[in-house]
Amino acid sequence: MKSVKLGTGLAFWGDSIRPAIEMVERADIQYLCCDHLAELTMSILNKQKSKRPDLGYTTDIIPFLRGVLRKCHERGIKIISNAGGANPESCAREVVKLCQEFGLYGMKVACVTGDDIMDRIDDVLAQGVALENTDTGQPLAEIRDRVTQANVYTGCEGIVEALENGADIVICGRVTDAAVYLGPMRYELGWGAEDWELLGAGTGIAHCVECGGQATGGLYSGGWDEMRNLPSLGYPVTTVFENGEAILSKTPQTGGGVTVGTVSEQLVYEVMDPANYLTADSVADVSQIKLDQIAPDQVKISNVTGKPAPATLKVNMGYRAGFVGEAQFTYTWPDAVKKAKAGLEFLAERLKQVDFKASETRVEYIGRNSMWGPELVANPGEDETELDEIVVRFAARCPTAEDARKVFTESVPLYNNGPAGASGIGTRPPIKELFGIWPCLIPREFVTQKVAITEVLQPEEVAA
Amino acid sequence: MTRVWDLAHGRSGDKGDVCNMGVIARSPEAWDVLLEKVTAERVKAHFGDMIKGTVTRYELPNIRALNFVCRGALDGGGTLSLRSDHLGKVMYTWLLRMELGDE
Repeated sequence: MKSVKLGTGLAFWGDSIRPAIEMVERADIQYLCCDHLAELTMSILNKQKSKRPDLGYTTDIIPFLRGVLRKCHERGIKIISNAGGANPESCAREVVKLCQEFGLYGMKVACVTGDDIMDRIDDVLAQGVALENTDTGQPLAEIRDRVTQANVYTGCEGIVEALENGADIVICGRVTDAAVYLGPMRYELGWGAEDWELLGAGTGIAHCVECGGQATGGLYSGGWDEMRNLPSLGYPVTTVFENGEAILSKTPQTGGGVTVGTVSEQLVYEVMDPANYLTADSVADVSQIKLDQIAPDQVKISNVTGKPAPATLKVNMGYRAGFVGEAQFTYTWPDAVKKAKAGLEFLAERLKQVDFKASETRVEYIGRNSMWGPELVANPGEDETELDEIVVRFAARCPTAEDARKVFTESVPLYNNGPAGASGIGTRPPIKELFGIWPCLIPREFVTQKVAITEVLQPEEVAA
Repeated sequence: MTRVWDLAHGRSGDKGDVCNMGVIARSPEAWDVLLEKVTAERVKAHFGDMIKGTVTRYELPNIRALNFVCRGALDGGGTLSLRSDHLGKVMYTWLLRMELGDE
């Protein structure tokens, strides 16, 4: 039976590159698949691009490739990545330059675009597509003038086309997390664009491994203290068979573990209705999935299926939504809680004096309820007089960066002018701009992926 | 007192303002108890004001897992929330603390 062996390279922007380096040395993979994009990432990348037109991709792809590229070239391992983010063309150019620097002439670098509809929003609206928020039903008009980015979660079609044309490295914009795995599955296993059950199976398998170490023992809650050598965690190595089953393993001689438990935890991660896992390529059904431990660190995945892909594709727009200002400070015994509350009053009064504006504020006590807030865990009481220390975090959502900055500047006097026993006030924090996410739908016929392939040439050939 | 943690392990994550929490039974016996006692209504009540919207329960019987999809659970969404745990990464641990009653 035909099969393909896929390795998980990176699972998010900024992920460690060591697991991939170990994988290309020790595991006999054919593809290294990397998902760099989370919901907020596209907004951040677009902001970078607006300041510097050559940026807007996840720059971690370059050190990543520096670490794995020679070995991948030597062993014929192809690399599929959505590091292109908001600027796939620029990313692909940098990748070509790196190949030239390494002297890897003849390699083919593909660039897959077509997901960015920012310049077409008004045209799409004019054609009767409402682009209303799928979570809230609100019309786009509510935030239209604040939209900074609009990208469609596109499928694996462009990746398949790139591979058919001999690409060694495929750089994409916003393709789905699953697509960077499903593309090579389709290409290698001969699955058609309408083999819904197989595409659903492939999507479910991709979901199991797209978060890297989360499937191989990272964050494993079922027995976190049983997982050995987490600092050298191995990332998933997955053999996918043409019948839609797979064996999930990891790089040999690495930390962590692959068990039915670790894979189950990843399977339920960020899934809504498991019988209807909507993606651009299919509607996967993982509700009846079977996981079997067939050997140490080997789990067989079966009984995943799928249905026809939806007629619409998901669009994520990002819109400007103000700024966050934060302050943090610590008080110690005696009367740590009373002092913390006096410190908060001090800050509130000073903010009032400078005409501070915020749409929402939040107080959390770190070590007590910072994960739960007062909604679930009560704030410390003033009767808790023997507490050794208490850490206060104050955060505010503000209309302007100037207001957000005031949170910090007005908390600084707590060092010298406020209640006794204060410390840990911190250095100047960056002011964080907020982006709201606007999920909406677009009919699939509005979106066409484009594939451009560049062959890496020697400098003199380029000149000629 | 039996807690969910005695019977199951889990994980949680975000999609917009939705937090989903998966819990996986440690044994077939534990699965029967989870199915009966860890209902969407009880989960919703257990989280009080932290979850503003609905809680829907889905079942994955072959891996003995329940998936709770909680709307309006992330203070407006991971990118907007002022919470330290803006992505709901540890919300499942609060579910694991839920007491089941020993009737």
